Formats: sequence, structure tokens, C-alpha cells
Amino acid sequence: MVGIDPETDFTVGPWLEEHAGGKLADDEVILGANAHIFFGKSESHVGDVEFFYGRPFKVVGILEATGLGIDDDAFITLDAAYELSSESNVDAVEKADIEPGQISTVMVKVDPRYDRADVARNISLQVPGTAGVTSKELMATSLSRQLQTLTPGLLLIGAGFWFISVLMIGALFTMIVNERRRELGLLQAMGATRGFIFREVMLEAVELTLLGGVTGIVAGSVLILVLKGPVADSLGVEFVWPSASYLVVFTVGYLLLAALTGALAALYPAVSASRLEPYQAIRSGE
Amino acid sequence: MGQQDNRPVMITLEDATKVYTSGGEEVSAIDGVRLEVNQGDYVAVVGHSGSGKTTLVSVMGGLTRPTRGTVKVEGTDIWSLDNRELARLRSERIGFCFQFPSLISTLNCIDNVRLPASFAGGDGGVDAAMELLERVSVAEKARAFPKELSGGQQRRVAIARALFNRPRIILADEPTGDLDEDTEEDIMELFDEVNGEGVTIVMVTHSRRLARRAARVLTMENGTLAENGAGSREA
Repeated sequence: MVGIDPETDFTVGPWLEEHAGGKLADDEVILGANAHIFFGKSESHVGDVEFFYGRPFKVVGILEATGLGIDDDAFITLDAAYELSSESNVDAVEKADIEPGQISTVMVKVDPRYDRADVARNISLQVPGTAGVTSKELMATSLSRQLQTLTPGLLLIGAGFWFISVLMIGALFTMIVNERRRELGLLQAMGATRGFIFREVMLEAVELTLLGGVTGIVAGSVLILVLKGPVADSLGVEFVWPSASYLVVFTVGYLLLAALTGALAALYPAVSASRLEPYQAIRSGE
Repeated sequence: MGQQDNRPVMITLEDATKVYTSGGEEVSAIDGVRLEVNQGDYVAVVGHSGSGKTTLVSVMGGLTRPTRGTVKVEGTDIWSLDNRELARLRSERIGFCFQFPSLISTLNCIDNVRLPASFAGGDGGVDAAMELLERVSVAEKARAFPKELSGGQQRRVAIARALFNRPRIILADEPTGDLDEDTEEDIMELFDEVNGEGVTIVMVTHSRRLARRAARVLTMENGTLAENGAGSREA
């Protein structure tokens, strides 16, 4: 459990103001993504009432998983923590051992112009009985901000690659259709309709791009499994898998995009193939 | 030109003309062709290369639209049909044999033979396909792919495929081109046999020797058609 001062906190305070529209009250709690495990529950929801040392708290927010220690935390106000400690003599099975006025950590938000390590060192030197440290959490936050800055650029590059791949697959299928003109003409001679020819070309393109999509997912997953450790170590952050539901939505969405890419790219070649006159198609290559 | 007998007319061409543009000039591949082919006829079309023979059978089979004139199959103006109806007509009533290897390379022989059934909505029975492969003497190659067959074997499989939907008309464009004499003879015997069962055959050939096996011999010259009379076979 983490008791915070709602007046000065900058860790969960801004999040709370944005999502819950105010400061944390003394009977409210914000849970880390995995905090419910400590209540023996499979999950917690906003609005639930959870008991800490016999004192009820209303859950006003649940944080996203970070892979860091705060996933296991529950945030209450500092005042609530002191009250809880004194009441735990009566209401709780086990006493919470917090003296009034006792604090364990002072978080310091460092101006980006200053070096965090220098600030930590100076605090240690100038405030007796303290140990100044820099945290991975802050590093992660900084990294996250950097990634947010990069995201639009990465999306733009991705869109560019996607557009080029549509053109390349389109060119590939135009060549395939040209190469198979005689076969397509023969199919028409045997009774295939134009619709059948169109569907055949489209299906082939969608199958091909879906296969490419599956290959991409498998290759990407293998790459993540191999590199997640070294990358996390070098950046000083923990690797966190997205939630299962996010992974399912992402995978399905990615495969749909792959199928759409194939369909879009093969549209022109498929229409051209379906409009071939059987006689001309059969005689092609003579 | 048509025979004066009581057999129903299978194919009618009235003023059929096909004009191509080649090098900026218009060239008539066939020009004002009038023709009637009766049920059970065995017609050979002979002529020099480029005389319009292949265009003629393509127009008859609905593979290319004539620039002018009408083409009727069993009384139906085939170019008045929509794409779906025309595809059905090709599938159900006409079997094509081409002058080049025409099997689908990714399918084995038996699947090649069954292929037309999928367009006709039939079941494409394996037994029926095997029966036809036995008839054209390539049953032992049923599971082989086209590249594993000789040219003659490929032609036989293509003929089996042309017969699969029990068509009433076979349009054959140089069906024995580039084959050795023995294989040629086997295939011509097969055509005789099929014709004996009442199937109408129109065969394009540049060989007068082969043409003589037909009941009627037509000559194409510069896109026009002339009747040469009967071959050795009686109609």
C-alpha cells in the first residue's frame, strides 16, 4: 500500500484528475493492475469496495499493467494511511505499523535540464538520513514519452510501406494473370463465368497476403521473445506483454488488414482477368 | 450448305464476320460465313494457316464475339445470352479440343477431366472420369500430372475432359497437330467412335488426309467458306 499526499503527488495524481476528475479522497483507492491478487480475487473493478486492514475503500481507478512494482500497489491518501494504521489495532487481523507523520519516500520531480543522478547525489549529501536514488519508473515514463513522439513518424513510415506493398502485390498479380492468360481462357471455354475468374484471382491474392500476415506474426513473435530480454535490460525497463484481449484484437485486425491488402492489390488484375475474351486468352503466347 | 435431311440443326452461322485490327488495318478473319451443321454431323474444316479456321470454331463455340452476324447453337442465338448463360452453354453443350496442350498443370489427370463438371454444377464423379480415361487409354495415368505425360497422352486426357459433360458438340482445333501417326490414328478413331454415338463434331485440320475421314469437308480461304462435299465417312 502506498500512501500519497494528494496535494503534492505527481505520480497517480495527474492520472486521477484526468480520469476521475478530482483528487483522491480518504475513502478511495487506486489499484495497480495486479493488486486484486492480494485480495484473492481474479479481478477488481472501478466502484468495488475493498478492505485494507479492516477499513473500506472505494476503488476509483485501476492502472494499466506496467510490468513494474506499482502493478502490485494500492494508492490511498497519506491521511487515510495514518488513520488505517491507528484503526488497524481494532479492526484488522494484523496491525499496520505506520507511525503518524512517518514517510518512507519523497518523490522528486526533476527539471529535465538537470541530471537526475546529480540531484539524487546532492539530496543524499544535504539531507541527513536519506538515500537519493533514481528510479526505473521515471526512466520508463521518459521512454514512453519518447516513443509517443516517435509513434506518428513510425505510423507514417508503416503507411508508406503498406502503400508500396499494395502496388507491388498488384504488379505481381498483373504478371501472374498475364502469365496464366491461356489457362484462364481455357477455364472459360470449359464453362467458368467471369465471376468465377474474378473470385479465383482475388482468393489467391487474399490467401497469399494472409499467409504473409501469419508469417509476419510468427516471425515478429519469435523476434520479441528473443530480443525482449536484451532490449529491456539496455533500456532499464521491464518487458510487459499486452493483455490477452489486446493481443487477440491486434492479431485479428492485423490479419484483416493483410487480407484487405491482398484484395485491394488484386482488384485491378482480377477485373482484367475476368474481362479477357476466351479466344484471345487461349491464343496468347502463340 | 446444310444437309437436306430431317436431323435437327445444331449450329447455324448467318453472315458471321470477324474483323480484327492489325497494324492499323482491318482484317476479316471470317467474312460473311453462312453454315448449318446438323446433329451428328462430322465436319472437317480445312485451309491454309491464317485462313480463319480457328476463328470460325471459336465463333461457333462462343469464345469470341463475331463483329457481325449471328451464331446459333440448337436454335439459341448465343451472343444474345448473358455471360452466365453463355458460360453454361459452353459447359453443358460444347466440348473443346485445342491444338496445344490444354491441361491445367496444377491438377492431375483425373481432376483435369472432372473440371468441367464443377462449372456445370455436376458432381464431377471420379468413376465417370476414370471411365473416360479408360476409354482414351490413359487410365494408368489418372493420378499423374500433365508434365509427366507425353504429348499424345495429354491430348487424350484433354479429349476425355471435353467429353466429360456429355456435350452434344465437339469443336476440335487441330486435335492431332504435332502428334505421331499412330497417336493421330488413335485419336481419330476416338472421334469416329464419339461421332458414332451422335455427337456433332467440327474439326479444324490442315491435313486433307484427316479431313477425308469426315462426312463433310469445308474449305476456308481468306475468311470465306466453301463446301467441298463429303469425305469418306457417311453422315
